[in-house]
This record gives sequence, structure tokens and C-alpha cells, in this order.
Amino acid sequence: MEENLNLSDESVADVPVEISADAAGAAVAAPAKKKHTVNQQKLQDNLWGWIFCLPLIIGTVWFVYYAFILALMLSFTAYDASQGGLMDAIKNYTVHPEGAFYWYKQLFETVGGSDLSGNYDFVDVTDPATGLVISQIDIRMNEMGRYLFNTVFYMIGIPIGMVLSVFFAVCMSRDIKGGNLFRVLYYIPCVASSIAIVYTFKIMFRTNGVINSVLGLTDFKYPATGKVGFIWISEDTTLGANWNQLCGTSIESGFMLDPYWCQGFFSKAVIIIMSVWKGLGGTIILYVAGLSGVNAATKEAAQIDGANGWQIFWKVTMPDLYPVIFYNIVTSVIGGLQIYAEPELLMSESTASTGFPMVSGYVALIYRYGIVEQTFSRGAAYGMFLAIIIFILTLFQFWLDSRRSD
Amino acid sequence: MAENEILENKGTPAKEVPLPGSATPAELRAYYSPLRYGLGAVLAFFGISSKTHRASKKRAKLVADIVTYIILLFGAFVMVYPFWWMIAGSFAATAVKNDFIYDLVWWPEFSVLNQKDLNGNVYGFFYNYQFFLGGAFDTAISMGYLGVTFWRALLNNLLYSIVPVVIGVITSASAAFSFAKIQWIGRDVVFMILLAAVMVPGPSIMITQFVMYSDMHWQENGLVLLIPGMFGSIMTAFFIRQFLFGLPTSIIEAAKIDGAGYFRIFCQFILPLAMPAIMAQGLLSFMGCWNNYMGSYIMIPYNSPAINLPHAMYLLNVNILKSNLGPNIAASVLCVLPVIILFGCFQKLIIGSLMLTGSKE
Repeated sequence: MEENLNLSDESVADVPVEISADAAGAAVAAPAKKKHTVNQQKLQDNLWGWIFCLPLIIGTVWFVYYAFILALMLSFTAYDASQGGLMDAIKNYTVHPEGAFYWYKQLFETVGGSDLSGNYDFVDVTDPATGLVISQIDIRMNEMGRYLFNTVFYMIGIPIGMVLSVFFAVCMSRDIKGGNLFRVLYYIPCVASSIAIVYTFKIMFRTNGVINSVLGLTDFKYPATGKVGFIWISEDTTLGANWNQLCGTSIESGFMLDPYWCQGFFSKAVIIIMSVWKGLGGTIILYVAGLSGVNAATKEAAQIDGANGWQIFWKVTMPDLYPVIFYNIVTSVIGGLQIYAEPELLMSESTASTGFPMVSGYVALIYRYGIVEQTFSRGAAYGMFLAIIIFILTLFQFWLDSRRSD
Repeated sequence: MAENEILENKGTPAKEVPLPGSATPAELRAYYSPLRYGLGAVLAFFGISSKTHRASKKRAKLVADIVTYIILLFGAFVMVYPFWWMIAGSFAATAVKNDFIYDLVWWPEFSVLNQKDLNGNVYGFFYNYQFFLGGAFDTAISMGYLGVTFWRALLNNLLYSIVPVVIGVITSASAAFSFAKIQWIGRDVVFMILLAAVMVPGPSIMITQFVMYSDMHWQENGLVLLIPGMFGSIMTAFFIRQFLFGLPTSIIEAAKIDGAGYFRIFCQFILPLAMPAIMAQGLLSFMGCWNNYMGSYIMIPYNSPAINLPHAMYLLNVNILKSNLGPNIAASVLCVLPVIILFGCFQKLIIGSLMLTGSKE
């Protein structure tokens, strides 16, 4: 690659080259030697330019682009762990026997429990008077639908976090002493390990934990089972009967009995609270940086013209913040689509986790099919679907960005 | 205007409204009801101007400052409280009863010296830490749930977060130097191609990376967390490049005239001059690597001696410490404390860099 470029460089050197600012060193040389030294300089520039970024180029091409192209290729095959190494798969490349897009179809067509233990298939309906199981209702639904809904549901945290961080950033950028200290304190959760934070929150949200004591929910009674204390995180299917009684719904209400919906919202709320809390510091710093760029002269002019604080905030400060807010929302949505560790850690109780339909994000499906079940092609196809979504979002961002600058 | 006309039509003389700036307090008191006047006085005390009183600017600022402080202090409390809870919980006497950690709000029932747990074991104040470092790991290893001792996991963690970060940040800086200060053919195209790699989401290439690394046998020995990081990252290079644009090119030209080669320029000029950016990016990626639970969890088998500390913590939690929560929280403290101390030491540099680049990690 380098050799090629150097050669091509010499071939163009016959054409008179303009002396760039970088070739200032060559410019001091005598005019007769000038052409030669310029070439020498250019050669040096090209050679060292490539050498300096070679490691980064190799790393990115090898670990990102090569992996991406392979993932795209493998997603059309039936490759799994039984078929040997990657090289064998490429040499004997054949598309999936049931069609190249088999796994993509599976993604949309897989219906059912999506849990190895068979939960989320059927749920018992118990008669509150006798406590006996009178029937079962079918709660199966599209697997990707469940996981993708979780992922999208967590994005409720993005506007909440945005409003809170703008609010705190405005407070911090006031002319007060110790603003820097607050910035540091608010940023601490961002640097903390997510596993430690998840375990802490898991215990804090127990039925008799701190959160329930503060909110006064330790005495919350579940009428059907007689349990005391509000349950935030649980996949227990028997809780549904309690919700039926509390909300006065029919005892066969699938919405209440499926732990994914009614009870699941509380478990998902824990993750939203946790991610808002963890991400707040980072966005506050972004907004404080954005606010420091707000034109002080414009603010003063508005003040003289008789605008009050509220008007100044909406008409002067916010328009200057919009680019930062916009950038932050886009990165949060793209990051939010890739949520995996937090829900998994919150629920996991065994070494090999196959995903938790109640809380897991979409990435849990990739992990489950690709790594736990070792059907690499399926995992790759599921990953490609995520890449497509994120790619479209990125293009949308560029489109909005270009419209704004026009 | 219209109002005045109406008033005149009605025949009642328009009463002049006294303003707090020009009228005397007596006039104002006569004009407004005592209740309204009193309310105005209270509002003015809190820095809010109204029809009856004009609050002083100084008072308004003071009140606003106090309100800001109250809001910020409340926020800071919410942000820091879980860490206090974590530290307090790590000293709870959960060996006696797990409820001690559930009931914990401010401080727990502490472990006391020479108290015995249900099995008759004597424990002291640091019981949770001792149990986590010793007993928990030993049990897990003997039962085959885990292949590392605590110290090995800690060493792995240090290795994974120092070696790739130091080398990676230097390779990123060299690429940034090349992109910012050297003119070579195809430079901008190459940069855009590399930058486009940011769009490829990690989870979508996770599976092929997994197969690649397992083909190369990088998983059991932990090379998977060492080697890819050494090639640097495009985002780090991007931010250092932004920083280098701010440096004058004339320094490099002067060095070139004096006969220094590019390698020498990079080592003797660029690295020292770009040190603030390099340090900040290095520290951020250090913290990222220290907390890299996902990398180890996905890529390294659980019984390998190469797993890192968060992964070991996870395995202990799901296998051994499910019912004994004190040591669990002690482990969390051990995981979180080093990064918080590091952040405390370099907070100015890190926050400054974050504010400059607008990234958030």
C-alpha cells in the first residue's frame, strides 16, 4: 500500500507542484534543487503519514470492518459451532438451505416463551375464592417484539434525563461558589462500575429495602397472596392475580397476569431510574459546556429590553443549547438500543444467562442465539438487524443536521 | 389607552397608581389593602418585586443563590447517597442476619469484634471483606465455579486496563498527529473511512468477533482484552486530532528545518504538547476498561484464569453469595473505589476534557 502510493506520488511529481505550507523547509533550498527536494519532502510526508496511522488502520479494518463484513456474510448461512472455524465457513460458503434470509424471517416469526424454562408461554388463572387453577391463558407473543419493546421502553429515561440535566446545568452555570464541586459529585456515578451499581440498586429496591421504607411501601399488601411489601423486581406469575384484585379487572385479564406487562413495568422502572441516575452527570457536563458558550451580550441585551428570567431562558439560552441537546438525544437513542448489561445483571441468577423477556434488551437475543446456543449465523443476522436500525437512525441524524444548518 | 377612555367616559377621575420606585411607603400603604401590602413586603424579603415593593437586586441574587444551593445539594445527595449506602452496607453484620442490609438507611447493624455467626465462625469488623477475599473465592474455586483468586482477578483487571490503554492511546495519538499535521495523499478519505467505523454498533459484530477470537485462541488466556485495545481507537484519535489542530504548525516546521524527522517530532514535540488531551483520553479509557464487565463476560469462559474483577464478582454473586449479601456489597466497594479515587485525583483534567470535546463516556 505504501509502496504504491509513493510510486504514484513520484509519477505525479513531473507536473509542477505547488509548494505547500508544509514544504517550507524545502523552500529555503536553492532553486535548482528545489524540485527534487519538494519531491523528497512529499515522499517523506506520505511515508510517515501512513506509518503513523498504520496501527489504527489495521485495528479498525481487522476488528471492525472485517468483522462486520463477515457478520453480514454469515447471517445468510447456517453456520454454527459444529462446522469448525471461520476459515472453513468462508471456504465452503453456502447460504442457508431454507433460503438466504431464513434467520431474518425467524427474527420476525419466532413466537413463544423466549425463555428456556418455558415461562411466558401460558399463565395459570386462579379462582380468588378457592385458590384453585381454573384455566390457563396463552400469553405467547413475538419474541423480538418483547425484547424490542423493552429496549424502546427504556428510552423513556432519555427525555427525563434531558430535562433534569438541563435544569441542573442551568443551576450549576449560575455564578455561584463550588459549581465545580457539584459537577464532580454529579459525575461520580458515571465512572462507577455498572455491576456494582446494579447490585446496590437490587438490594435497595427489595421489598423491605431503603426505597420502600422512604416511599412508605413496606406495608403494601398483596390481597391474593397475602405478601407484604411492594415488589419491584420479580418474574413471579402469581403476582398477576393480586393486580387483578387491586385494579378490579377480570381474573382472566392477560395484561395483568402476564408478568411482562403489569408487574414488568415496575422492574423496567428500576432500570430507567438507574440509567437516568447513572447518566445524569455526563449530560450535565455536556450542557454546562454548551451553556458557557451562550452569548453573554445577547443575554444582557435581552435583560435591558425587559425580558424576565423565564423569557431569557426560552428565547436566548435554549436556542443556543439545541445543537447539544440534539446531539445528546441521538447518541442516547443509539446507545439505548444497545442496552444489555444492566437488565441482565439485575435479574441474572445463573452463569449462562439466556435473557429475561421481562427486562432484557434486544442485544440479549444476539447473545443468547449467538453465544449461549452457538448458532453464530443466527446471532449475526440478529446483529445485522440492529445495525440496520442504528444505521437508519444515524442517516436520519445527518439529514436533520443538514436541514438545520441550511 | 383604551382603558383610560373607558374610565373617562364613566366620569370617574382616573386614580394615579403609585409605583414603588417613586411613591412614598405611606402612599402605597394607603392605596393597597394591608393584606396586599404585607404580601408585597414578604415577597420583597424573598427578592421578588411586586406592585407594592421593589426588591433590591442584591437580595434577589442572594435568594436565588440559596435556592440554587438547596436544589444542587439535594441533587448531590441523591447522586452520592447510593455510594454511602454501599460503603455502610459493606460493614453490615449480614453474617448474622441478611435483614441488616435490607433495613439499612443511614448506617447498619455493624459487624462487631468477636461475634459469632450461625455456623459458629468468629468474625470482626471487616468480616464482609475478609469473607469475600478469602472464603468466597476459595469455595467458588473448589466447587469449580471460578478459576481465579481475588488477587489474580485484580492483577488481570490492572493488566487489561493499563497495557492496552497506554499503548492504545499512543497509537491513537500517532494517528491523530498524522491526520492533523502531515499532508499525505488520501488522508481525509482514510480518516472518513475510519470514522465511519463508529457507526458499526458493537453488539452487531459481537458474534463474529467471538468466533474470530476463539479461532485465534485468544479467549482462555485473556489476549482478547489486551490485543485489540493496543491498536488504538478512532474516537480517541478523533479527540486528540481536534486538540492538535489547536497547536501551531510552525513548531513542526521549525523542527523540520532543524533536521528533525517525523518520528522525533512526534516523540519530542507532539507527545509532550498534547499530553493534557492524551492523559484525559487515557484516563477515560482506563476507567472504561476497569469496568469492562461485558468484554470479559462475553469473550472469556467463566472457568478461565483470565477473567477480570467485575466478571469474577458476577460469578461469585450468582453462585456463592446469592444469600450472603454483605460480601457482595464489599465486592462492589472494592470494584468502585479505585476508579472513584482516580477520578477524584484527576477530576479537573477529566471534566475539562469532557467539556472541551463534548463526549461522554
